[in-house]
Amino acid sequence: MGDKRLNDFKRRWQQMQYTECALYAVGVAGLFYLASQSFYLGFLGFVVGMAVALLLFKPWKLSAEQTVAYVDAHVPEAGYSSGLLMLPQSELSNLSKLQRYRVETQLDAVLTKLKPPHQLPMAAMAMFGLIMIGLAIQFMLKEFQQNPKTPSTPQNIQFAPLDSVETNTAIPKLSSTKIIINQPDYTGIAIISTENPNISAVTGTVISWQLEFDGEVSNVQMDRMGELFSLTKRNGGFILSQTLEASGFYSFSFEGANGNKFVTDLYSMEAIEDQAPLVEIDGLDQYSYFEYNEVKQLPLNTKVSDDFGINGAYIVATVSKGSGESVKFREETIRFDGTLSKGKKQLQLKKLLDLDKLKMDPGDELYFYVEALDNKIPSPNISRSETYFAVIRDTITDDFAVESTLGVDQMPDYFRSQRQLIIDTEKLIKDKPNLPEKDFKFKSNELGFDQKSLRLKYGQFMGDETELQAAPGQVSSVESEHEGEEGEEKDLLDAYSHKHDSDNEHNLVEEHEGHNEEGGEEEEDPLHDYLHNHDDPEESTLFEKSLKAKLRDALSIMWDAELYLRLYQPEKSLPYQYKALKIIQEIKNSARIYVHRIGFDPPPIKEEKRLTGNIETITNFDKKQEFDHQMSFASSRKTVSRLEQLIQGSNFTEMDRVLFQDAGNELAKKAVEEPLKYLKVLQGLRDLDKSVNRTRENYTQVQKGLLSVLPQVENNPGKMEQYDDEINRLFINELGKND
Amino acid sequence: MTDGPTLLNPKLLWPVLLGCALLWTIFIWKEWSQRREIRFWVKIMTSFTGLSCLGLMMLKPALPMEQAKGRGIVLTEGFRSAQLDSLRSKYKGIPVERYAPGEILKVTDKADSLFLLGNGLRPFDFWQMQDRAITFLGAGETSGWSVIRHEKQINLGEALHVRAEYMQPEKDHWAILLDNAGNPLDSILFEETESQELEFTASPKASGRFVYALVEKDQDGTIASEEPLPIIVENMRPLKVLMVNDFPAFETKYLKNFLAEMGHEVSVRSQLTRNKYKFEYFNTASKPVYQFTQKDLEDVDLLIIDADSYADLSASSRTALEKSVEVDGLGLFVQPNTSLFKNSKNSFLKFNVDYPEKVSFSGSSRTLEKYPYMFREDFPVQSILMDSVTIASYLVRGKGKMASSVLRNSYQLILEGDQGLYARLWTKILDRIVRKSEKLAEWESLTEIPHIDEPLQFYVRTRLETPQAQTEGALIPLQQDLQVSSYWQGTTYPRKPGWNQLEIQKDSIATFPYYVFSGDERKTVSQRQRMMANTKEFGINENGLEQDIALTKILQPIAPVWFYALFLLCMGWLWLEPKLSGQ
Repeated sequence: MGDKRLNDFKRRWQQMQYTECALYAVGVAGLFYLASQSFYLGFLGFVVGMAVALLLFKPWKLSAEQTVAYVDAHVPEAGYSSGLLMLPQSELSNLSKLQRYRVETQLDAVLTKLKPPHQLPMAAMAMFGLIMIGLAIQFMLKEFQQNPKTPSTPQNIQFAPLDSVETNTAIPKLSSTKIIINQPDYTGIAIISTENPNISAVTGTVISWQLEFDGEVSNVQMDRMGELFSLTKRNGGFILSQTLEASGFYSFSFEGANGNKFVTDLYSMEAIEDQAPLVEIDGLDQYSYFEYNEVKQLPLNTKVSDDFGINGAYIVATVSKGSGESVKFREETIRFDGTLSKGKKQLQLKKLLDLDKLKMDPGDELYFYVEALDNKIPSPNISRSETYFAVIRDTITDDFAVESTLGVDQMPDYFRSQRQLIIDTEKLIKDKPNLPEKDFKFKSNELGFDQKSLRLKYGQFMGDETELQAAPGQVSSVESEHEGEEGEEKDLLDAYSHKHDSDNEHNLVEEHEGHNEEGGEEEEDPLHDYLHNHDDPEESTLFEKSLKAKLRDALSIMWDAELYLRLYQPEKSLPYQYKALKIIQEIKNSARIYVHRIGFDPPPIKEEKRLTGNIETITNFDKKQEFDHQMSFASSRKTVSRLEQLIQGSNFTEMDRVLFQDAGNELAKKAVEEPLKYLKVLQGLRDLDKSVNRTRENYTQVQKGLLSVLPQVENNPGKMEQYDDEINRLFINELGKND
Repeated sequence: MTDGPTLLNPKLLWPVLLGCALLWTIFIWKEWSQRREIRFWVKIMTSFTGLSCLGLMMLKPALPMEQAKGRGIVLTEGFRSAQLDSLRSKYKGIPVERYAPGEILKVTDKADSLFLLGNGLRPFDFWQMQDRAITFLGAGETSGWSVIRHEKQINLGEALHVRAEYMQPEKDHWAILLDNAGNPLDSILFEETESQELEFTASPKASGRFVYALVEKDQDGTIASEEPLPIIVENMRPLKVLMVNDFPAFETKYLKNFLAEMGHEVSVRSQLTRNKYKFEYFNTASKPVYQFTQKDLEDVDLLIIDADSYADLSASSRTALEKSVEVDGLGLFVQPNTSLFKNSKNSFLKFNVDYPEKVSFSGSSRTLEKYPYMFREDFPVQSILMDSVTIASYLVRGKGKMASSVLRNSYQLILEGDQGLYARLWTKILDRIVRKSEKLAEWESLTEIPHIDEPLQFYVRTRLETPQAQTEGALIPLQQDLQVSSYWQGTTYPRKPGWNQLEIQKDSIATFPYYVFSGDERKTVSQRQRMMANTKEFGINENGLEQDIALTKILQPIAPVWFYALFLLCMGWLWLEPKLSGQ
C-alpha cells in the first residue's frame, strides 16, 4: 500500500518536472519562431529546448530514495520512517513493522495532499521572458529593415490597384525588378543594378528598367512628368531605357488581364549636374610687387579638384610691356611642374614662376590665372581661378607737375589746325607790309613750327614712331595732363583755337585729343582701341589703304608747306596748306559713316475725294476673341475645397479622381523647378487614387501640403451676392431725395 | 417704523391691556389683606411681570433685524471666492446655490433677494430671476481670448482680417493664425500687458467652408490654447462689362485686356468716326450697342464710359442709363478727362481743385498720375481707398452706383511692369461698384457663439411670401416681424458641433451655414459676453452692498418662548410663595 502511495508521489513529481521542461522548450520555440518567422525553426527550437531541459533535469532518474528523503524532510508524520514503506514487510523487524504501520496510517491521509517540489512559476516566467525577447527581436528586425531606406518610399517597386473593386481576382505580381543605371563613362562609376526606384545619377546617365511579371499584363507604361512611355516586351519582361537629363518623377502603370489598372507610387529621378572643377591658389597675394634687383620668383601652389576627374590644368600668363601707346602684350600658357595625371579627382600642382625667365623688365606687368578642365564629355567644364598680378617696379616714373614756385608758365604751345594755319598765314601775308621783317620772319617760322606740330600729330595716326620722339608727342600728353588737373584751363584752350575748328569739323584731332586726355591719366596708349598693338606703321589698320595713302600725301604736302614757311615764303606755302586741308577734309569725310535717310512715301492722294467727308465705305470694325481664363492652380484650389468636404465625411467619387489628377498635373509643372517641395504633395495626391489611402488623415495631409505650396489668388474683380432689402432701398431712396 | 420693537399684533393691544389690567386688579384686590407686608409688593411686581409676558406673547413684539432669511447667493462660473467668503461672514447661514445652465434654481423659492456672483446666467435663464432683487457682483479678471472678430464670409481673393484681444497674455507666447490644414499664415508675439489687441491678415487660397484656427503657442511651440475660426470663402462670378469710348484710348485698351484676360465678358465700343464704331467682344457673343436701352443694360454688370461719351449721351440713352443704375443696380464708371472737370455741371460728383498731379501708394514706390482735382467727400459720396489713398469715389443711386476717379493713365503701371498693382487697383474699384447679384435670402445669427443643445436665434430676410426654414429635414417655425414683413425670426437647437446648415425649404441655394462650437471653445469670449448681457440685465453692483442691506431689513418677531419662560417663573413664584411663608 505504502509503496504504491510513494510511487504515486514520485510519478507526480516526475510529471511536474516534465511539465517544467516542456515550458522551457515552448519558450525557446517561441523565441526562435518570433525571431525567424519560420515555423520549422520554431519546431527545431522546441526539440532542442526540450532535449536540453530533459538532460538538465533528468526526471526519469528520480529515484525512490530521493522521494523518501523528500517525504521524510517535509512530512513530520512520516517520522523519518517512510523508507520503511519501500521495503518488503518480511524484511522488517517487529518494531519496524509497528513503525511502518503507524507511518502507513498517518501518511495515507497526508501523502495524497503533499505537493512535489517544483519550479513551475519560474519555468512559466522563463517561457514568457523568452517569448517577449522574441517579440522584441521581431520588432527590432522590422525597424532595422525599414530604417536604412528613405522613409515613406519603398525600396522596390510596388503596384497597387487603382480600384478596390475587384481585388479578389488574381493580381499580376511584379516578380522581378531590375534598374540598371549606366552613368557616363567619364565618371568612372560602374554600372549599377538596383531595385530601388528612387534614382539619383549624373546628367546623361542611361537608365534601363526591366520589369517582369508573373501573370498576364499589358500596356505597361512609364509616366514621366505627364509624358507616357510604353515599355517594350522582350524575353517575357518589359524594358525601357531613358536618358536622364533633368530631375523629375516617374511611375509605372499596367493593366491586368481583366482590364484593371495598377499604378505604382511616384518615384524620384534626380539628375546631378557635373560640377566644374574648383581651382584654388594658396598663399599668394593678388598683387605682388618686385624691385628690379630682387629675386623675382613667384611660387604658385594650386589645388584643383573636381567631382569626377580633372583632364587638364595650366597657367595662362600675360606679360604687358611698356606703357601708354607702346604697350605690348604677350600671352603664353605655362605648364605646371611634373606631369599631370589625368582623371584624378584632386590635384596639387606647383610651379615657380620666374619673372626673369618670362623676359620681364622693370615696369612690366604679369597677369596670370590658372585654368582647369574636367573630363566631362562631350564638352568639358572649364573653370579658372582669379587673376593674379605681378609687377616689377619701374626705376623711374615721369610725373608732370606745375610747380607753384616756378615763375614761368611752362605750358607748351598748342598745335593749330590746318584751317587755323591757313587763316594765320593769310593774315601774315596781309600784314606783311605793316610788319618789320624780323617780326614777319619770326611769325613765319612760328607758323612753320605749328605746321610741323600738326604734321607730327597726323603722323601719329600713321604710327610714325621715329618722329614722335620730338616735342609734339610730349606736348600733347603734357598738355592734356594739365587739362586733366585744372579743368579751367579748357577755356584757355578755347582762346587759342577757333570754335569751328574744334567741334565737329575736326573730328580726328578732337577724338585724338580726347583720347589723349584719358591716356595722360591712365598711361595708356591713346590709340589702343584703334590699333592692334603693331608698332609697325605699315601694319596700322586704322585706315584703309587708300586713306593711308591720302594721309601720307597730306603729310608730305605739309612738309612742303612747312618748308616754305620756314623759308619765310608764306605765299608759296599757302597753296600747299590748302591742299593739305582739302585732303584732311576728305580723310575725315571718308571716316564718317552715313546712314541713309529712310522716309515714308505716302500713297498718292486722290484729289477728287479729298476733304469730301464721305465715310460711307467705312464700316464698323468687329473683333471677337475668347480668353480661356483659368485662375492659377484652379484645380488645386478646387481640390482643397473638395478635400475639406471629404474630411467632413463626403464620399470619394469618380469626379474627385479626375480633379485630383488635374491638380497633380498643375503641380507637376511647378514641381520641375523645386522637386523636393512638391514631391510629398504630388505623392499624396496620387496616393488618393488608391482606395486604401482614402483616409481622413491622408486627406488632411494632402490638403496641408497643397495649401502650403499654392500661391496667393491674384486680384480679380467679380460679382458678389447681396440681399436687396426693401428697408435699405427705402432708406437709400429717402437719402437720394434730399440730395 | 424705524428702529425699535414693533408689535406684530397691534390689533390685540387694547383688549390685552384691558384684560391684563383686570386680572391684575383682581389679583391686587385678592392680596389686599397683606398690604402691610413686604411680600405684598413683591407679589404685585411678580404678577405684573407675569401678566406682561402673557400679554406680549399674544401681541408678538418684533425687532427689525439684519437677517439672512430672504437672501441667497447664486454662484456662476468665474465667481471670486473672496467675495463669497465676505458675503458668508456678513450673512450667516445665507443659502448658496451653484448655477447650472438650463436648470431651475431652488434658492429663488426661499429668497427673493439674490447676490449673483461670477459671469452670470445664460440669457435664456434670465426668466428665473424675474421679480427678484438681484445684486450682480460680476467676476474677476479673466485670461485668454476675450474678443475674436473676423469676417464670417469672404470672397476668394479678398483678405481675411482677424481682430482679437487677449487678456493677460504671457510674455514670449505667440499668437498664430493657422489655416484649415494647420499651415501658419500670420503670427504676433505677445507682450507683457494686461490685454493685447492683435490683428491678423491672411488671404485664403481656396473657396469652401473652412475652420481656421487662432492658436497660442509657448516658446517651445506647444499649443497653449486654440480657438477655431469658421470662415466661408466664396467664389466670385465673372462680370459682364460694357465699355464705351469716344475714341480708342490706352486706358481703355489696358483695362479691357486686363478684364478680358481675367475671364470677364467684355464688350467694347470705341468710336472711329461719325457713326462708325469699332466693336470688340471678349468671351461673349457679338451684340453691337448703339443707343442704351434699359433692356440692353439689364445684363450688364458694369458700364465703363469716358467722360465725353457720357456728356454727349442722347436724352433717351441717358434716361435709360439712369434707370438702369437706379432700378437694376448697374455699376457705372466714368473715365475722367479734363473736360469732365471743366464742365462740372455734367458731373454727378462734386470736386475741388487740388494741386498735386501725382499720387503714390505706400507699400510700393509707384506713383501714378492724377488730375489736379479731388472729389468732395460730401455725405452720399463714398470713397474707395487703397493704402489710405482715395482711388475713386462713387455715389449710390438707387440700387446702383456711379463712380469716377481722379487717376489718369493707370496703364502706366502695366508698362512699368507692375501688373500686380494695376490688378489690385482696378479690383478694388470695380468690386465696390459692380452690380451685385441678388440673393434670395439673407440670414444672420443673433446668437454669437452657438453651442450644442443651446438655443440659436437667427433671423432671415427674404422676399418670399411664407418662407420655411429647415435644418436636417426638420422644419423650424419662423416668426414674422410686426413692422417689417420681410423679417423673420426663429430659434433652433443645433445637435452636432462643427458646420451645421439652415436652409429655406425647396431652395438649396439660400442656405445658411453656421458653425457650432463645442466644449471650451470661445470660453473667455462667451464669459465676457455673458457678463455684458448680465450687466445689461441686472446692472453691475461692485461696491453697493450697504445700500442694498438697508432696503432689505426685515422685522423679526421675538421668540415667544422667552416670555413664556418668564411667565412660568413668575407663576411659579406666586404658587411657591404661600407655601414658604405658610411654614
